[in-house]
Amino acid sequence: MREKETTLYIGPQHPGITGNMMVKIKIKGDTVVSSSTHVGYLHRAFEKLIEQRNWLQSFTILCRFCVPEPDPMELTYARAVEEIEGREVPERGKWIRVLVMELARLQSFMLWYGGQSGSAGLYTLGQWSVGDRNYVLDLFEELTGGRVYHMFIWPGGVRRDLPKGFKDKALRTMDYLEKRLVQYNKLLFDNVIFQKRAQGVGIIPKDKAIEWGVVGPPLRGCGIKSDVRIDEPYEVYDKLDFIVPTFEGGDVWARALVRREEIKQSISIIRQVLEKMPEGEYYNKIPNPMKWKIPAGEAYVRTESVRGEVGFYVVSDGTERPRRVHVKGAAYTHAFTVLDKILPGQNISDVSFILNSMGACPPEIER
Amino acid sequence: MSFFDLKGLLQPLTGIRQFGNKPHTIKFPDQTKKTADRYRGLHYNDLDVCIGCGNCSTICQNAAIDMIQLDGIEGKPGDSGLRPRVDNGRCCWCALCVEVCPTGSLNLTKDYIFVSENPDDFLWIPGVKNPEGKNNLSFTSTTETSLSMYQRVPLRELDPHDRVKSFAEVILGYNEEEARLEAQRCISCGLCTEVCPDHMHIPEYINAIAQGNDDDALRIIYDNNPFPEMCGKVCTRRCESVCALTHRGKEFDPGRDEGAVAIRFLKRYATEAYPTAEKIKEIVNPEIKEANGYKVAIIGAGPGGLTAGYYLALQGYDVTIFEARAHAGGMTFYGIPKYRFPEDSVDKQVEYMEKVGVKFKYNTKVGKDIKFEDLHAKYNAIFMSVGFQKAWNLGIENENIPGAISAVDYLGKINAGESYDVGKKVAVIGGGNVAIDGARVSARYGADVTILYRRRIEDMPADWEEIEAAQHEGVNIITQAIPTRIIKGDNGKVKAIEYLKAEMVADDKGGRPRPVAIEGSETILEVDTVIGAIGQEGDYSFIPETFQKKIQIERGRILVNEDMQTGDSKVFAGGDSVNRRADAISAIADAYKAVKAIDKMLMNK
Amino acid sequence: MDNELLKEQELLNAITKAYDVKGNVIRKGRVEVFVKKELIPSVLLYVKEQKGYKHLSHVACIDWIEQGEFQLTFNIWSHADKIMLYVKTRIDRENPVMENLDGIWDQLNTYEREFREMFGIEFTGLVGEKEFILEDWDDMPPMRRDFDTVQYSKDHYYFRPGREDAKDVRKTLTDRTGEEIPDYATKYSREK
Repeated sequence: MREKETTLYIGPQHPGITGNMMVKIKIKGDTVVSSSTHVGYLHRAFEKLIEQRNWLQSFTILCRFCVPEPDPMELTYARAVEEIEGREVPERGKWIRVLVMELARLQSFMLWYGGQSGSAGLYTLGQWSVGDRNYVLDLFEELTGGRVYHMFIWPGGVRRDLPKGFKDKALRTMDYLEKRLVQYNKLLFDNVIFQKRAQGVGIIPKDKAIEWGVVGPPLRGCGIKSDVRIDEPYEVYDKLDFIVPTFEGGDVWARALVRREEIKQSISIIRQVLEKMPEGEYYNKIPNPMKWKIPAGEAYVRTESVRGEVGFYVVSDGTERPRRVHVKGAAYTHAFTVLDKILPGQNISDVSFILNSMGACPPEIER
Repeated sequence: MSFFDLKGLLQPLTGIRQFGNKPHTIKFPDQTKKTADRYRGLHYNDLDVCIGCGNCSTICQNAAIDMIQLDGIEGKPGDSGLRPRVDNGRCCWCALCVEVCPTGSLNLTKDYIFVSENPDDFLWIPGVKNPEGKNNLSFTSTTETSLSMYQRVPLRELDPHDRVKSFAEVILGYNEEEARLEAQRCISCGLCTEVCPDHMHIPEYINAIAQGNDDDALRIIYDNNPFPEMCGKVCTRRCESVCALTHRGKEFDPGRDEGAVAIRFLKRYATEAYPTAEKIKEIVNPEIKEANGYKVAIIGAGPGGLTAGYYLALQGYDVTIFEARAHAGGMTFYGIPKYRFPEDSVDKQVEYMEKVGVKFKYNTKVGKDIKFEDLHAKYNAIFMSVGFQKAWNLGIENENIPGAISAVDYLGKINAGESYDVGKKVAVIGGGNVAIDGARVSARYGADVTILYRRRIEDMPADWEEIEAAQHEGVNIITQAIPTRIIKGDNGKVKAIEYLKAEMVADDKGGRPRPVAIEGSETILEVDTVIGAIGQEGDYSFIPETFQKKIQIERGRILVNEDMQTGDSKVFAGGDSVNRRADAISAIADAYKAVKAIDKMLMNK
Repeated sequence: MDNELLKEQELLNAITKAYDVKGNVIRKGRVEVFVKKELIPSVLLYVKEQKGYKHLSHVACIDWIEQGEFQLTFNIWSHADKIMLYVKTRIDRENPVMENLDGIWDQLNTYEREFREMFGIEFTGLVGEKEFILEDWDDMPPMRRDFDTVQYSKDHYYFRPGREDAKDVRKTLTDRTGEEIPDYATKYSREK
């Protein structure tokens, strides 16, 4: 009996796909033979829009580049503009920025929990983690005025100072989350079903990982220690005490372990930041935004987001508007060439599982 | 690993414990969640505080805010009359509009629920749609966090102790870097243009300076003001008093500049960048029309007359300006002291006008050296801007003896290059700019000067700048002093002045408090010179009787219609002799209007 | 000061010795080289294989319409040296052709598809579906500077009615006072 090769379109409206894109796989029986990704459902022409706005006006577009975790986009743009102009950010501003980044990382991991366990069929954990994520969003609401899109980090510093009572509230939330993490462990990582499904699936070979353009937790899950926060420390990461976890294996299990460890590190960083934050200014004010010019130049800045490195390439030609802003998120390589290489040979039911572990986020790809 | 893993099977069951937990959600609408103090909800605008500058609409990057006319809100000086309307289908609640609002009237509230079946309802006018939002403000912008720049770049001036020894120009203008920085502050709303009597194109030339195009700035200024260097140094700057930034800028600089954009000094910077008349002609390069055969006479080479001459010459008219004195400039030359407006500044502007084709006849007084009737017959139109040349009498005993002089005469003599010895002690009577000028000039001749003014310092009509500068230079100001008589010495000259002290009595009807002399409080001040500066009036003796029926004078001023035309259709008038505002920019504005009217009249014949 | 930039200088010297290119050290951790487009494959292969610059971090394309050129910038990172290398090249804008580079790094396939669609650069030998992000696009490549997005939206869509009564503040004021702004000054008025 010959098995016919069929084409299966997963997406764009599918709960197993992390976002709005389509993965077209050719299958024989239950096994994937080849795959190709199609995007284009979320194109909003942001880069062109940014070219038609001022340096400051475009900061409202930036957070919408990536829905699960908007803050690294804002931070990278702000750092790139500061690098071209030579603007210094005051100390306290840098500490607040790190606080926002780590909180964003935390809430994004909560969302990842839902996706990863849901794609394995374990739906309970997703409901819990999204519910707990709301407490972090409450903290964001106190600090920035918005729950999901914060629009808080802009060139020169941050927009407002910490409100009164924020530190206590944040520490209480951290305590609560740490207790919950133990529960998540019991439900997911100690669960033999998850272990059996995740080990040995979606392997990325260690010697080829960097060349394929793998970044972030998938890279660290291959045993390569690479993180922008320690390679090119920015803001105050060089003053903080944290480890970057790596696990061998290169499969979904290793990546899940990496992420579990990173959540613990995030909580620890947040506690350190709240303790050590100095007093002082938090914003180096820009002049009248309608007339603010940046001298000509270019800069390329990278930040570590939940999925990997985010790179902003900003070009200025000396006027009030950016010449070119090109954004590349981690998903640009993960969802195309890497997926094409690791999916063949996998089971259909593992496609969504692997996609979640790679952390592909379509808004970032298409901008 | 084997599938039968007890731990792996039982651990997940511990999740059943969660059944007893309190849910994360709350029962809406019985319970509501407390919104954060900084929540970015729907907009609220305080319609009384809002000035309709449109800055929110410009910065909104979604083009969500429109400025519209509302019923019941009229425009007035300092308020455009328009109010913002938010299109909630486009708004992303980034609150940039709140950060740049110069008055702080636009804010965000804690409300975030708005439900309607009609999509057009989502075009919201904040403040009108939700008047109760005032109590619910959450995201606001204080003067610290606002992105508007409320503080002016400070201006440098000469040290008071040094500068009182000479007539060197006191205020040292902006250099290029400071000017560009100051020009960046402007939000280009244009509220200032309404209040300027001449309606200069202020946001346009400030933006040209901010972009580094000083050439364009100069051209824009010369479009309706040919005397910008003078305005840049001594204008009364009504524009700055309605600048959008003063609403919160006054926190930083109360009673003085109040944070307004330095419109006057930027104008000065733009003109000083071109030091000679040739350079001005090269840059401005106005289009001079062909001679059209009409001749116009202008009486008085003050700012009004010079403006009229310039613009008429550009339109191709044959213009002659008749000036009674030896030098052009009018009150700006003979009245304003040289440390405020140097002579070479005047010469530069006048030289440029000569290049354009204006003809001057100095030392020619109409009524004496040439008759008014002749002018009326020979020329197709006449523009009169003769100003107020006569000072009011003080109305006290002995006011005409040697040593008592009016400020107008005194300043006129000094500025003409003559000398007048004021002795060692001087008393100046009056509280306006002319009095301060007289005082500061006397101080430069080494005298010990005292100003006597009937009311309090805050009531003085003079510029706060002038009062402060005079005080720094050692001038003594005695307020609430009403002079009664001048005491004559044995040599027939002024020996002292006697004055009564006054107390301020509140006015029953709510007007300004009045000074009432205190009986028996006579004080004697020994002085060598008394300078009177309590006001001026016009001298219309040059108008012959035959014309006085048509050219009517009411309460000291020439009557004109809105085209600056007097009762005689060939004769136009403007300046101090016509308007009540008594500053140079008003004279320039009147002349500009008159030029348009003369052009219309002659070209349409 | 010089000690800090030792590694950067070493890298620059090695590349300029091997190929006829110019470059400079921008700051610590940033080195740029300007390469002619024919030499790009060789230079990229050289830095990847021989210098250990294995991580291709970012590729960007900039439209310099005034100069009539496109600029391609490759940002490559070395984990060992901790240096980001910018390899910049220029392509003629009228006839933009470039060699296909995805033999060196596979990810370049995706980048090249995007540039082909957004800028119209032809990569000879590129195998990949023509449509990347846009669907049924029949106009000029949209990321080029001469593509007018406002005009496109006016031609193809209609604006929702209801906002026609919007007024311009400056115009309201000039109407009230009778001020006439000359033509050469209107470009300095505030844009709406």
